[in-house]
Amino acid sequence: MDKKSEMGKKMMHDLPVEAYTSQEWFDLEMKEIFSKTWQFAGLIEDVQEPGDYISVQAGLNNIFIVKGRDGRLRAFHNMCRHRGTQLLRAVGKGKKAITCPYHDWTYDLEGNLISLPKQKEEFPELKGELHKCGLNLHEASVDIFKGMLFVHPNKNAPSIMEFFGEVEPYLGPHIVEELVEYKEKDETPFYTKEIQANWKIIVENYIDHYHLAHLHEGTLNMYDHAKAEFGWAGPHYWFYEPLIPAYAQDVKNASPQPLIDSVSEDKIGAYVPWLFPNIGITEGESAWNTFHVTPLAPDRTLVVIRSKMMNVSEWEFTKQYTKSSMSKVWQHYGNKGKYDGDPETDPMASGDFMLEDIYACEQQQKSLQSPFFSVGAQAQRGEFAIRKFQSVVKEWIEKHQELK
Amino acid sequence: MFYTLKVTTVKKETSDASTISLEIPQELKKVFEYKPGQYLTLKFSIEDKEVRRSYSLCSAPTLDNVLTIGVKRVKDGLVSNYINDTIKEGDCIEVMPPDGRFFATIQPQNYKTYYLFAAGSGITPIFSILRTVLLTEKHSYVYMIYGNKNEESILFKEALDELQELYNDRFILIHTLSRPKMKWSDLWNSKTDLYRKGRVDEKSIEWFINEYPLYAQNAEYYICGPGSMISNTQQALQNIDVPNDRIYIESFGGNTTAKTIEGYDNAQLKVEIAGKIAAITVPKGKTILRTLIDHKYEPPYSCEGGVCSTCICKLKEGKVHMKNNLVLDEKEIEEGYILSCQSIPISEKLEVVYE
Repeated sequence: MDKKSEMGKKMMHDLPVEAYTSQEWFDLEMKEIFSKTWQFAGLIEDVQEPGDYISVQAGLNNIFIVKGRDGRLRAFHNMCRHRGTQLLRAVGKGKKAITCPYHDWTYDLEGNLISLPKQKEEFPELKGELHKCGLNLHEASVDIFKGMLFVHPNKNAPSIMEFFGEVEPYLGPHIVEELVEYKEKDETPFYTKEIQANWKIIVENYIDHYHLAHLHEGTLNMYDHAKAEFGWAGPHYWFYEPLIPAYAQDVKNASPQPLIDSVSEDKIGAYVPWLFPNIGITEGESAWNTFHVTPLAPDRTLVVIRSKMMNVSEWEFTKQYTKSSMSKVWQHYGNKGKYDGDPETDPMASGDFMLEDIYACEQQQKSLQSPFFSVGAQAQRGEFAIRKFQSVVKEWIEKHQELK
Repeated sequence: MFYTLKVTTVKKETSDASTISLEIPQELKKVFEYKPGQYLTLKFSIEDKEVRRSYSLCSAPTLDNVLTIGVKRVKDGLVSNYINDTIKEGDCIEVMPPDGRFFATIQPQNYKTYYLFAAGSGITPIFSILRTVLLTEKHSYVYMIYGNKNEESILFKEALDELQELYNDRFILIHTLSRPKMKWSDLWNSKTDLYRKGRVDEKSIEWFINEYPLYAQNAEYYICGPGSMISNTQQALQNIDVPNDRIYIESFGGNTTAKTIEGYDNAQLKVEIAGKIAAITVPKGKTILRTLIDHKYEPPYSCEGGVCSTCICKLKEGKVHMKNNLVLDEKEIEEGYILSCQSIPISEKLEVVYE
């Protein structure tokens, strides 16, 4: 018997293959990872004015964020304390009170229960002041890190800086708050796609340095993969690589959008960290993107990309686009398919790196069920991050199961 | 319990305020540990009378190895003038260990926004909080508004300027002056832009909070100054729904809003103090604390102004009227806690316990 079957389980590296295919593992991750970490909830401009609110699904918890008149965000579990009905939907204006649509139980913006119909007749046991009856909304935590909103299901969560502080120095110098979101159509994110693969397959693809020069040989070749630097800070991965010299020399003209001016010339490059467990950021020369991964099922994952760019006029974007399309850089780099074929139907001929990645992830997921599947070998530098990520997942689950 | 501490330095900060630094002997380091925002109680014998006063510490606990208090002259003030006129380096002062419920709990991993509101000598505990936060919590932000009469009455001006320069990415300071000393030369001197005209009041606070919205969402609000500044600031914060449990208040006197209420004449007081039980009679209008002192008991106390909470005790039976209460919250009062220095019996029988 070989080593793998001795242990009874076929392994990816540090995690068993079933962690990528079974409902049991999916449920475990939902409970121990996605419901016990700071979860990405959007960008600060999503909740701008007092009374604005959003609700987000964060693991098993639905949490809403509302801004008070003091400018401070409050977060509560989006669940009426009566019979659990979700109080708020999507985005909107909450004004001063939150009312459950089911029986009109009403809460103030501090989560206090302030009124309910027929209190005296129907609930004689609720005496005295309502907000002291133990039926206030369950409080959660919300905070801001680098222009992004995060929520945590616990009221007394460890500070967001305890979680992200270590990786912060490795992030790009971009001042995110100055940038504005680029939207294709009104109110829809830059990119949304359901991918037929386990969420960890997508993360591993994101942090895999080895594949950049191969899967993306014709698409991401304006970045200098040979000069990439990467590592871990706490449970988070950081990555940086400069532009290739030909692009760097002409970046002012060749950049497809206006350059982000909070990044000085010597700092230009691609900063591509992965923040545990499920949010990547791609901080480039002209765009700053969030890459949010939401597991839907063991083999289905939603990816939502939001993109921010310089806050300049449409005309500036048009001028830059014109300059960029005339630049010689793109005659050699950045948009060729890996294989010849129909760019409309074959992702490997598309010249689009997202389609290339999705293809690779989905093809890998398909093989996980095969009795003949095994991981052959691991690139010691280029794929080091993949094993490390799996060990972080494993340790996080073990640590939180012990705490029970 | 008082300890004798030696004055290491006396520094004149403005024309009517000084800071006094006291040495802490090695063996008293533990006893004199404090949190930024707390105060010291000093005991003097002036004109053969024992007097006690509490002064906020402006030093920062983990950064300074002396205890420093700021003392501003109060018009006709017995102790503040005595200190400013006579205390000098090398003198010995009787000091009670640090105390007080106005303090910030500082932790290096905190990620908070501190809104600090100070007026006049109210800067002293705020200055301690400010320095401790900036130097200890590298992720936290401080937004501060500081009111004074004019440019010359600003305490710790140089040190504040320095902090502003050093921490400009996470410390904002707005000076507001009620009666600025305008000079003709200021008309072309851009430096006057640094000051806002007016007091720390509802209007300026509304402006301040809109102008400087919080980034780190765990926000706390610290207020210290004379009576009206406190109530104005508190009102401004309540107007925009800042929850009370995020607001911390230290009042520097000047609050005389207390109503006159008839006390019960010769109320029968049963008191448990330092493990002993005593029964005494309280004359009409006299506080529980003063009655105990008159009977040679030694109840804990320091400010006698309803501010510090040293004299706190629990009312087991009966009713009292508190002339002034700037520390106890609704919940504590519901649980029976009273400030004995402010409590006048308004029922025939009373029972209190010093816990």
